[in-house]
Amino acid sequence: MEPAEVEFLAEKELVTIVPNFSLDRIHLIGGDLGPFNPGLPVEVPVWLAINLKQRQKCRLIPPEWMDVGKLEEIRDQERKEDTFTPMPSPYYMELTKLLLNYASDNIPRADEIRTLVKDTWDTRMAKLRLSADSFVRQQEVHAKLDNLTLMEINTTRTFLTQALDHMYKLRTNLQPGESSHSQDF
Amino acid sequence: MAEAYFPVGPGLGMEENFLSLDDILMSQEKLPGRAESSLPRLALLLGQGAGSGESVPEGSKLEIPLWLAKGLHDSKRRIISVELPKIYREAWRTVFSADANVVDLHKMGPYYYGFGSQLLNFENPENPEIAQTILQATVSDSVCSPQTFVARFRRIMDSSQNAYNEDTSALVARLDELERALFQVGQKGLNDFQCWEKGQASQITASSLVQNYGKRKLAEVDG
Repeated sequence: MEPAEVEFLAEKELVTIVPNFSLDRIHLIGGDLGPFNPGLPVEVPVWLAINLKQRQKCRLIPPEWMDVGKLEEIRDQERKEDTFTPMPSPYYMELTKLLLNYASDNIPRADEIRTLVKDTWDTRMAKLRLSADSFVRQQEVHAKLDNLTLMEINTTRTFLTQALDHMYKLRTNLQPGESSHSQDF
Repeated sequence: MAEAYFPVGPGLGMEENFLSLDDILMSQEKLPGRAESSLPRLALLLGQGAGSGESVPEGSKLEIPLWLAKGLHDSKRRIISVELPKIYREAWRTVFSADANVVDLHKMGPYYYGFGSQLLNFENPENPEIAQTILQATVSDSVCSPQTFVARFRRIMDSSQNAYNEDTSALVARLDELERALFQVGQKGLNDFQCWEKGQASQITASSLVQNYGKRKLAEVDG
């Protein structure tokens, strides 16, 4: 799975926009949107919000969590705890990137938000590496990672699963049963 | 093009994968052994003399590729006996358990794990120790002494996922083939993410197949 595909999934998340045009309710596969009235906030998926924004047909209202104070709190919480803390959105990284790239003029203190989210990401990735290491060291066979987001899983997924696969094979090499000598000449 | 190409990977167990190119190369590696009975008219083949009619006397030392050793080895009919290569012996195993990270597995291998796994076929009394050295953290009296694969895991993970846009040849030089594949996978994860973050994923680029095609065409015109 590529990051672009993860982003594709993230674009289904809903954000609030303030349109500057009027349009009746539109019926799409997967849900009805609208009606759109100038100046009235309405919830739409991110992909539509970005498209409308690029055509200068709306103003974007940042999600509630995309706020310097809240993100600082999240970052500090993340640094304090050993396990992964719940994130404000399952696609926090993707949404930050998309919204800041296409609608940074609608988001107050955009550059600070970018830094904070990046800090949180780095903390979590370091934590992920640390826990993967101790997982391998202790020869565990299962783990629970509740609050990891898809993008984070995706960056280390192939590496980790392949390493564990090698480990499993090396570990079961000597065990009788599956590869016992059934063919004796 | 890499997505549409599915090479057969190495088996890494007691059995190799028949069509895996890596496994075929791995089973070419030589293994020290000794002839337990005389082998008539094989001296030339086994590199023991000149004449094609000469036989290999009983008890002579041989260097046999792994695939042949596997075929000739039998616990009952004693044709050849196989000795452990020195990197799988006690002395080297101690080195590995001291610090697996300092060992140049590419020089020792380059199929350290695969070859070692295959060695377990020869019913050597030291088998459990070999298997343990290759991978396992020995859990004896709750003291974990991490062994080769486990001990090197962290280094491979960190170097593959932190080295962005760097020359990785120095990092990779000491890795065994299996570890190199793992390193590449880690690098790809990092590179894909970084590209996405910079917004390069949304740009359409020519596939490497087409780029190579263009080059070949030019070469043909020149020639």
